[in-house]
Amino acid sequence: MIDSILLVDDEDLFHLVFEDACSLLDMTLSLEALNSSDEADRLFKKWFEDGPVEERPECVFVDLNIIGSSFDGIELIRKINTDYGNGVVIGIISSSDDNQEIDKAKEVGAQFWIIKSDEIEPRLEEFLKDYDSYVEKKAPFKVYK
Amino acid sequence: MINGNDSINEAFRKAKSKKVYIEGNFVKLLKNSLDEDVVAYIEECKSKDKQARRKRLDVTKQVQEQNKELAEAAVIKEALVLELQNEKDEAERLRDEAVEDLDIMQKRTQFELIGLIVKVALIIIIGVGVTTTLLYTIAMLANKDTTILGNAWSNLFGILLTNSFSIIGTIMGVKYATEKTN
Repeated sequence: MIDSILLVDDEDLFHLVFEDACSLLDMTLSLEALNSSDEADRLFKKWFEDGPVEERPECVFVDLNIIGSSFDGIELIRKINTDYGNGVVIGIISSSDDNQEIDKAKEVGAQFWIIKSDEIEPRLEEFLKDYDSYVEKKAPFKVYK
Repeated sequence: MINGNDSINEAFRKAKSKKVYIEGNFVKLLKNSLDEDVVAYIEECKSKDKQARRKRLDVTKQVQEQNKELAEAAVIKEALVLELQNEKDEAERLRDEAVEDLDIMQKRTQFELIGLIVKVALIIIIGVGVTTTLLYTIAMLANKDTTILGNAWSNLFGILLTNSFSIIGTIMGVKYATEKTN
């Protein structure tokens, strides 16, 4: 089980779907959901400046296009990985399966890409199986379709 | 009621007696207790929590699906409105063209009528002029009295000439006015 997950997605309804799916799969103990990449950026910056903190999540799911934010999910991943010390399992959760975007995400250090759909649970279940290897940074980049 | 002196087992027993079940991620933190009835209670809590989550997930997905359909319907509606607007513009353009064509046709008919009037008027003028001149010439050659015929010829010729210029003037005026309008 993952101790803490952070979801960054502009769609409130998806927060509920994700939370319930995670709960049904016994995926995490605590889940925080944010609506904007700016907010996530501020938090990661704070956690990075304050040193190791418990609030910092273990795993981060970022939406690709976050409406109302200054930058998209790929840029957020780049910032977390290069500016704020990395140290989290991080990837994209999006309804898009654009290969160019997937390649960009890979380049900035995303570890996975989960495609949003009506049936999100099987994908999350599969992701959960691979989770330990993501923590150890052993697993290659994977797209969960 | 549960108070601070109750042990965890006692607290759970009290909650169970009141049919109050723990929900959310807190349930996941609970380890199985040694007391069987408490273990059963925790399992019931977990089961109820899962049921509630499943129900909420299904409803949320349904709402999400409906939202998606509504968004798609809005896009289709917008496209239809745009299409209708285009068709309305096209219909207005065709109507304007038809009105213009009708106007041109009316003008053409008017010109044709004027042309016919001019033609007929010229034939009459030339015909009357030629006839009167012939009569006058014949009367002169035959040494007949030409007083009345001469006066009539000169009057008639004067009138015909005046009318000819009047007709030509009218035609030129109409032509000039039409060209200016176009």
